[in-house]
Amino acid sequence: MSTATIGQAYNYKVVRQFVIATIVWGVVGMAMGVWIASQLVWPEMNLDLPWTTFGRLRPLHTSLVIFGFAGSAQFAASYYTVQRTCQVRLFSDKLAAFTFWGWQSVIVIMLISLPLGYTTTKEYAEIEFSGAVWMTVVWVAYAIVFFTTVVRRQTRHIYVGNWFFGAFILVIAMLHVVNHLAIPVDWFKSYPVYSGATDAMVQWWYGHNAVGFFLTTGFLGMMYYFVPKQVGRPVYSYRLSIVHFWALITLYIWAGPHHLHYTALPDWAQSLGMAMSLILLAPSWGGMINGMMTLSGAWHKLRSDPILRFLVLSLAFYGMSTFEGPMMAIKTVNALSHYTDWTIGHVHAGALGWVAMITFGSLYHMIPKVFGRQQMHSVTLINLHFWLATIGTVLYIASMWVNGITQGLMWRAINDDGTLTYSFVEALQASHPGFVVRFAGGVLFLSGMLLMAYNTWRTVRVADLRVAQLDARIV
Amino acid sequence: MWSFLMVVCLYGAVEYCLRGQSEETLDEASLIPFADDPEVARRVELATGKQIHAVAAEQARPGWGNLDM
Repeated sequence: MSTATIGQAYNYKVVRQFVIATIVWGVVGMAMGVWIASQLVWPEMNLDLPWTTFGRLRPLHTSLVIFGFAGSAQFAASYYTVQRTCQVRLFSDKLAAFTFWGWQSVIVIMLISLPLGYTTTKEYAEIEFSGAVWMTVVWVAYAIVFFTTVVRRQTRHIYVGNWFFGAFILVIAMLHVVNHLAIPVDWFKSYPVYSGATDAMVQWWYGHNAVGFFLTTGFLGMMYYFVPKQVGRPVYSYRLSIVHFWALITLYIWAGPHHLHYTALPDWAQSLGMAMSLILLAPSWGGMINGMMTLSGAWHKLRSDPILRFLVLSLAFYGMSTFEGPMMAIKTVNALSHYTDWTIGHVHAGALGWVAMITFGSLYHMIPKVFGRQQMHSVTLINLHFWLATIGTVLYIASMWVNGITQGLMWRAINDDGTLTYSFVEALQASHPGFVVRFAGGVLFLSGMLLMAYNTWRTVRVADLRVAQLDARIV
Repeated sequence: MWSFLMVVCLYGAVEYCLRGQSEETLDEASLIPFADDPEVARRVELATGKQIHAVAAEQARPGWGNLDM
């Protein structure tokens, strides 16, 4: 093996900042989720205050975990990966620092404005006009930093993980701008340029691709770097990874209409959304299998490596939720599942099982490296985190499946004379045990997140500066 | 018609990306994540029998444990 030097050090400062931000927003966002879960068990937890009602805290929870936790994780992972796979320092330290502080300010705007009731009312796009414009500015800076780094690469080939990160950046920019087109009436109030069914279609074109590109494509970029790196084997099939990339980005963008089955949206558009969602199963599982098979000949490492366990379990949940999604997009299945807790369970199978788990695995891999330590402070705590997260996720999604099917069946039950068998309140009462189990699952998951925060703090808090300097090599 | 066009576009994109790629160049691409990590690269070479052209970044500048935030 020949070894040359690349004559420069990577910019790990911005990676460290985003890593810490990921953990902070993870704790806050998940705590918010547990709080609103408790409100469904004990309505008094609304506190009888307008800014702590479910209707205001729920969008805050989703915004914090999607943009704060998942967004910061992808900034960290993409900046780390693009430098290492292009063998070049990140373009412009100043612009990279701007993306960090700019992105954190976007999250703070959400943290303040959403509880105060400033909202576009568009799901996952609640941030009002001026905040949305500022978010676009930061995102453009992110695109400049990422793509200029790719252009200045020292390698001949652009590694496939960077293709996924690149698609994530470009498509999110397009979705965000198109969905937020609005006429502002003041700093925090605007009206969308679309109306009626068109507005709904644009919103769910955005909404589904927020899942497809913000919560999938960037994380697949993470998967293609961190799974091979942690296993110590190259990806199972590089050719398949290229087919996976093109198939995924070609198909995902069409699946949005399945959120609008049995609505005023034209029937052909609903059927198109359903068909595209079903076809989407193929690239999703192609990628999942490619990730899993990377462990060929190294499955024994799962016995001793909790970081690898996080990464592999995330792929298992990815496979499960990308099977469930197309099934739920079938119109007859959707007639039962839509508007029920089944949808919430499905989303969290992806959010907790896939997004959060692969983030945990990737962060546990990255933290010692970017903070110059041999390994995390406690491997036992990583193991404990793994089991808390796994049990929490299973409790969450199982309770929501039971609740969803119960609600769907009770809502559609009719008597011989055509009247409804059950009132809405009766369905709600039947859901209460499921709400309790979901709350317990959320508490377990949050406990794991707190353990991670503690473990990270102990890892970062370096007692011996001399050892830290010695260990803080960029290799 | 749209679906057919989409399949053609997908096929064209994949073919374009794989043009002129041999098994060796794809192998080389798949080994990029290990290339800037000489120690890991050595272990991967032993496990897979594939050769990695490794590089190493320079030592980080000393500072507050290199942990400046």
